[in-house]
Amino acid sequence: MNRHLNLLFLATENLLRHKAKTVVVCLCLIAILSPFITAIAISEGVREQSLISVNAGADLYLTYDEFGRNSAIPLKYLDEIKKIFGVTKAIPRIIGRGFLQNKLAVIVGIDKEDLPVSVSCISGRIFDNANEVVVGHELAKHFRLNLGDQFSMRCQQRKVFTVVGFFSSDSSIWGASMIFMSFRDAGELFGKQDVATDIQIYTLPGHNSEIATDVYDIFQHEAYRLQDKQMVELYVKKGFMLKEGIFSALYVVSFALGVPAILVASGFGLSERKREIGIMKATGWQTLEVLELISMEQLLISFLGATIAIVLSILWVKGFNGTFIAQFFIAEITMLPKFTLPARFLPLPCLLSFFFAFLLTMVGSVYSSWRASTTSPVVLMK
Amino acid sequence: MIRTEHLCKSYSHSSQYEIRAIYDINVTIPKNSFVVFNGPSGSGKTTLLNIMGTLDRPTAGKVFLYGEEITPFSDIALARLRREKIGFIFQDFHLIPRLTSWENVAYPLVPRGIGYKERFERARLLLEKMGLGDRLDHTSEELSGGQQQRVAIARALINNPEIIIADEPTSNIDEETSVQIRELLDELKVRGVTILVATHDAMFEKVADVVFKMKNGRIE
Repeated sequence: MNRHLNLLFLATENLLRHKAKTVVVCLCLIAILSPFITAIAISEGVREQSLISVNAGADLYLTYDEFGRNSAIPLKYLDEIKKIFGVTKAIPRIIGRGFLQNKLAVIVGIDKEDLPVSVSCISGRIFDNANEVVVGHELAKHFRLNLGDQFSMRCQQRKVFTVVGFFSSDSSIWGASMIFMSFRDAGELFGKQDVATDIQIYTLPGHNSEIATDVYDIFQHEAYRLQDKQMVELYVKKGFMLKEGIFSALYVVSFALGVPAILVASGFGLSERKREIGIMKATGWQTLEVLELISMEQLLISFLGATIAIVLSILWVKGFNGTFIAQFFIAEITMLPKFTLPARFLPLPCLLSFFFAFLLTMVGSVYSSWRASTTSPVVLMK
Repeated sequence: MIRTEHLCKSYSHSSQYEIRAIYDINVTIPKNSFVVFNGPSGSGKTTLLNIMGTLDRPTAGKVFLYGEEITPFSDIALARLRREKIGFIFQDFHLIPRLTSWENVAYPLVPRGIGYKERFERARLLLEKMGLGDRLDHTSEELSGGQQQRVAIARALINNPEIIIADEPTSNIDEETSVQIRELLDELKVRGVTILVATHDAMFEKVADVVFKMKNGRIE
């Protein structure tokens, strides 16, 4: 035990003695690991928030199906749907997109009494009257909107709206560029009356398949699409995997640059190291003891590098709100997100980072050290 | 104590050329003797000492230590032998730069699991004996050649070896320190240590029990 402790202390001292090498390897590890940890944390945060939204949402989503895609559904069947046994609520809503000057906004039209309980974090109030809206904080900040301000918007129709409330920055990421209005106002803005983009159906537990059969009876001559929570959840997950793919492609490039940098940095002072190993061997060190010392050095440096990378990642997300990196995970945001970025630092990616760092540093050093420690001391000390 | 039989070492520089560093060396070195290998550069003194000290392996021939043939020993067994029985003093000192004097001296004790305090204490005692009590925390770059060689000697003695192998121990240092080192080695011999020295220094012959003259890889 004492021997291992001695080697551990000596490894620590060696890292301190070779400061330049330690710093360079640490920087390389940080450059590789920090974006990785940050990306995973943001991805997990966004995924969690999405799944919470899905779970807090309706049990079934009903739309029309055109060309294999969701399309608007007429409201003529709404009353029949509401009467199906097991349906507790059927809420039509309009979700669309439109430009508020140069900014793309998500427009949600839903009646006030049908607002989900999860809609909170609003300063001001919810719309009561026609042409009143609640605006996401990113849009409000961008256009310096205040309560009572009016703005006009044009989709299929032009309408003038009055701001009566704002989503705060603590609200979900979906609230950032959202404009919330009544179902009727949204219909007028998009020039579509008596249709909804979807109907949210809330049901009694265990009734979904029966309801699906009844919906089929109602829509038997129409192309409709009925999706339950699990399917929506699956789409959300797939969507994120797609976006993560873009990040992964970029990450591979930085990884490809970072790994050789580590390998080069690990080779700093190799001739000096070889001579040192020669002296160690001449004074009675065994090959395994030499390798243990070097492995401990790599373990310590990877622990240091990975720890700093994790701390910097936390700082990147919490302090700098995922600047630059968030755009790879959340659609239509800029390099500087204007809302509080959701992030989750899970233990597994952090542990993986330690392992990964150790692997990288070992690859960079262990082979040359093994070669050196199995070579004759005479050759090494020349 | 140490015996060699038909010891040869050759180096192949290409498939066509082979350089014989030593050839058919047969020596017997009794325990507690002071043996000097004398000869010009390239005569094979260092190669012979490296092989007898287990730092290198012969191309042919055998080396015996305490009657046991050590030539076929594994690297692990040879390293154990070096740790327990042999101390080396090199011409170029071979101290680890950036380590202080006492850390260099105590370095062989690290893998033996000896704690920091004991390592320091043992190194300090040896360095004080070498007249370097005030240089404990100096790195090798801050020491003169003579001081570095004394640190190297202290390192060679830290494991209480039975054999000291010194390769040109006085060639890079001043005359005064050379005298000190000769006296020190002689003192070690008195304490029962077997001393093997490769040197040009004729003064060593005065204190040696046996002198082997080497030329062109052979003992004359």
